[in-house]
Amino acid sequence: MFGKLTWDAIPWSQPIPLVAGSVVVLTILAILAWVVLKGYLPYLWREWITSVDHKRIGVMYTLLGMVMLLRGFIDAIMMRSQQAVAFRAAGYLPPEHYDQIFSAHGTIMIFFAAMPIIIGLMNFAVPLQLGVRDVAFPTLNSTSFWLTATGALLVNISLVVGEFARTGWLVYPPLSELPYSPGVGVDYYLWALLISGVGTLMTGINFVTTILKIRAPGMSYLRMTVFCWTALASNLLIIAAFPILTATLGMLALDRYLGFHFFGNEAGGNMMMFINLIWVWGHPEVYILALPAFGIYSEVISTFSGKPLFNYRSMVAATMAICLISFLVWMHHFFTMGAGADVNAFFGITTSIIAVPTGVKIYNWLFTMYGGRVRFTTPMLWSMGFLVTFVIGGMTGVLLSVPPADFLLHNSLFLVAHFHNVIIAAVIFAAFAGVTYWFPKAFGFKLDEGWGKAAFWLSLLGFYVVFMPLYVAGLLGMTRRLQHYEVAAWRPWVLIAGVGILIMIAAAGCQVVQFVVSIRRRDELRDETGDPWDGRSLEWATASPPPPFNFAVLPNVQGEEPYWEIKRRAMEAQQMSAEPRYEPIEMPRNSPTGFITAFFCTMTGFALIWHIWWMVALGIVAAYAVFVWFAWRDVTEYSIPAEEVARFDRARRQARERWLAQHAGQPA
Amino acid sequence: MTAADTPFERASDPYRIGHGRDWVSAGAGRGYVHATGHGEGGPAAKRVIAGYGFWIFLLSDIVMFSAFFAAHAVLQTATAGGPSGRELFNWWSIVAQTFLLLVSSFTCGLSAVATEARSQLWTQLALLVTGLLGLGFLALEGRDFAGMVMQGAGPDRSAFLSSLFAVVGLHGLHVSAGLLWLGTMMAQIFVKGFRADILRRMVCFNLFWHALDIIWVALFTVVYLIGLGR
Amino acid sequence: MSHETDTRDPGDVGPGFMDAAELTVREGIARYVIGFVLACALTAASFYVLTTSLIWGPAIPVALVALAIAQMGVHLVFFLHINTAPDNTNNVLALAFGVLIVALVIGGSLWIMDHLNENMTPMHQMMQMQR
Repeated sequence: MFGKLTWDAIPWSQPIPLVAGSVVVLTILAILAWVVLKGYLPYLWREWITSVDHKRIGVMYTLLGMVMLLRGFIDAIMMRSQQAVAFRAAGYLPPEHYDQIFSAHGTIMIFFAAMPIIIGLMNFAVPLQLGVRDVAFPTLNSTSFWLTATGALLVNISLVVGEFARTGWLVYPPLSELPYSPGVGVDYYLWALLISGVGTLMTGINFVTTILKIRAPGMSYLRMTVFCWTALASNLLIIAAFPILTATLGMLALDRYLGFHFFGNEAGGNMMMFINLIWVWGHPEVYILALPAFGIYSEVISTFSGKPLFNYRSMVAATMAICLISFLVWMHHFFTMGAGADVNAFFGITTSIIAVPTGVKIYNWLFTMYGGRVRFTTPMLWSMGFLVTFVIGGMTGVLLSVPPADFLLHNSLFLVAHFHNVIIAAVIFAAFAGVTYWFPKAFGFKLDEGWGKAAFWLSLLGFYVVFMPLYVAGLLGMTRRLQHYEVAAWRPWVLIAGVGILIMIAAAGCQVVQFVVSIRRRDELRDETGDPWDGRSLEWATASPPPPFNFAVLPNVQGEEPYWEIKRRAMEAQQMSAEPRYEPIEMPRNSPTGFITAFFCTMTGFALIWHIWWMVALGIVAAYAVFVWFAWRDVTEYSIPAEEVARFDRARRQARERWLAQHAGQPA
Repeated sequence: MTAADTPFERASDPYRIGHGRDWVSAGAGRGYVHATGHGEGGPAAKRVIAGYGFWIFLLSDIVMFSAFFAAHAVLQTATAGGPSGRELFNWWSIVAQTFLLLVSSFTCGLSAVATEARSQLWTQLALLVTGLLGLGFLALEGRDFAGMVMQGAGPDRSAFLSSLFAVVGLHGLHVSAGLLWLGTMMAQIFVKGFRADILRRMVCFNLFWHALDIIWVALFTVVYLIGLGR
Repeated sequence: MSHETDTRDPGDVGPGFMDAAELTVREGIARYVIGFVLACALTAASFYVLTTSLIWGPAIPVALVALAIAQMGVHLVFFLHINTAPDNTNNVLALAFGVLIVALVIGGSLWIMDHLNENMTPMHQMMQMQR
């Protein structure tokens, strides 16, 4: 009746997951109860859950990512603390549990923390920067988000019902095949990623179509912001790479469920093919994360240096070069697996080459700051921290790109330190920079600067104290994923890293406090005009938060940095431009399709994991029924009358006029 | 500074979602222009947007197929002592399947012409024939698969057979999904007529069905014809 | 309310059907017929190449691949209406991107897997090969 699912799936005998799981379940139930009892559910359903507005979806993605970042961080704390105490000792985490923790840590951080945050920021900012009202396929956008949430939910369910994979975050066969992983762990991994992968692919299609086909009048390609260019490159990579992830994990699922022999030992399977194909996806994936992060830095650095970005065209060229070359380097993840010198040499050279356009970007950011009037706000601090830290990580990457060096350092802590170095510096710092930068636009008030800066400095310090010793330990020969170790030379370094994680805990605390304090003080931190940072791109031309239709009248773009030009003219003339003629605006209707589809996908995924076949059939039929029901609707849009558009826009104009009057006589 | 030069001045709001034309107030291109997506005209028409989005979805689908093709290329000699392609493939069945799918692609194109002419009868007829041909294709393929499994040459026999069943089966799965979609489209056109959004979906369906035939060309060449030579 | 109406707005066109509104029914059908005939001919040629000794044996796979590419081209031009008109640029670029990725994935994987298989052949298989 329920397949393999029994009451034994709950970890009654393991205190740590039992307690952790109970705390999480109780917290979720408490939040749900509070929402329902306070009567917020209709509002949430109408305004957020069924929303197809890119701004709302962006906020939900980012929130999901931030919560999962916390969960992944807790896994990291457990790993560091286990290693700190497990010198010639057993530590407090048994091996089968430790294996699940490092697997979950990687899976969650890449797929359910970093990806959602980056996609969320792209969702929020790209249509605003393009000067348009929404993305190409708004309901598809909502579905993408809820499918990603489905994947995150499935991974988290594995904490309380069943187990997670013990294979590392990329589930290499033959360990991930049925004979060596007979439990449900790998299945949780597979279905969470297969389902959320569909969502991500749909995001890729949505954004490439939006950026190429839906821009404000007059915005040619070379008048887009660099963030939009990096979003384009990243989404092109999503379209090219995610199908390969789906295919490869699909092959593994076929092996596990239907007895196929793609990757197994017997009947001619080839396990190296999994490693090859998964890294064909895996390397573009890190650029999918890094490129929009670079775009965020371009926006932040030019805004807070008060200068246009240095050498815009070379930035665009470098971005597209990275996009292309990222598909030529994947083999560097398995230099040591025997392909031979000629293959290794080719990929080693391409890996070194990809550092060049990245270097071009670093120089452009530095030259943007040079000669500018730099304001050291929180987003700017995160960017400057990135500039230093990422260069170090990049250099260790170039070191690893030399195959003979990689033969010594592959799968050591040096590698672990390298990729955390680049990912944390590029993606996580950009996440906080971007969130702080666009928070006032999304919510109408800024985040508290003091706590933000504290969080930054503690994060920066904590990062170095954790990961620099790991470089040393790696050079001394320490392998990754060790549940315990015997070598005395490694001990001091592991202990220092353990201290560093405490600093990072303090930093995370500051982040949380920052949000609480900012919400409490929101009236003092209010953004009145919609342009709290003296921005340069079009999203700052709207009110904070923007109305559902973003722009009352689409801007007519005549040069780069259109909003800067608008401001300059207004300051010179000491008055706003003439009020435009307002017309009614058609917007897409909200739809529960995304949420309901994701609900049935969660049901189907869970049923597949536990082999509850009748539930699988039911879920698939229901998902198809939802599709037909959605396709059958007659009214897809609603109209916002011209008077309401005018009302929103006049309020915005009045706020700007007040600001202009206060700053009369000042130079642009 | 005249009103016509200010960035926010518009003769009218151009963004009536996807209606394909826009007002440019300054410069050489002043006046109404087609939205080409190159920037001058503003957001493109809905049909352009839907068609392009579906086109790149198809390209992503082809990338997914290429991963399965790569796996098949690597595993095509891994027969583990079991039967190889030459021993298993039914020549005439493959010819018939190819022909059925090609004709169905043709009739699908005819349905597009009928849709353009807004003829309910011919559209439904062409779509019905397309669907029946597709069903015929699936029936033959299913019969081949069943036969192979009966012989003990199922996907669990060897890695070669695994990859064969996977790549051909994936295509068959797409055809099945396409037939479900076809049925839904026939129902929609019948009930709601040639509404603009239904027409956009027909464009997407046509792209999908033709793309399936393109993939079949690659499939039968690489898997069957080249495999037959072994 | 905003019901979509059936308008023949000439600006409202998409890839694959850029000029469909301007063709007569006859011209539309003719396009598909030509494509169908060409595709049939190429398919027949593929099967023919395999069964006769017209092409030298080892060159057969090459001939088959060439015929397949030609037939895919026929499909793209006659059924999917890909052309090089200026409003079709994005479609052609997307296709080129897709072809590039497919080539890299298949070509790169074959190159790497071939080397791996050769260098990492298991011991018993090597001994079998030497017998």
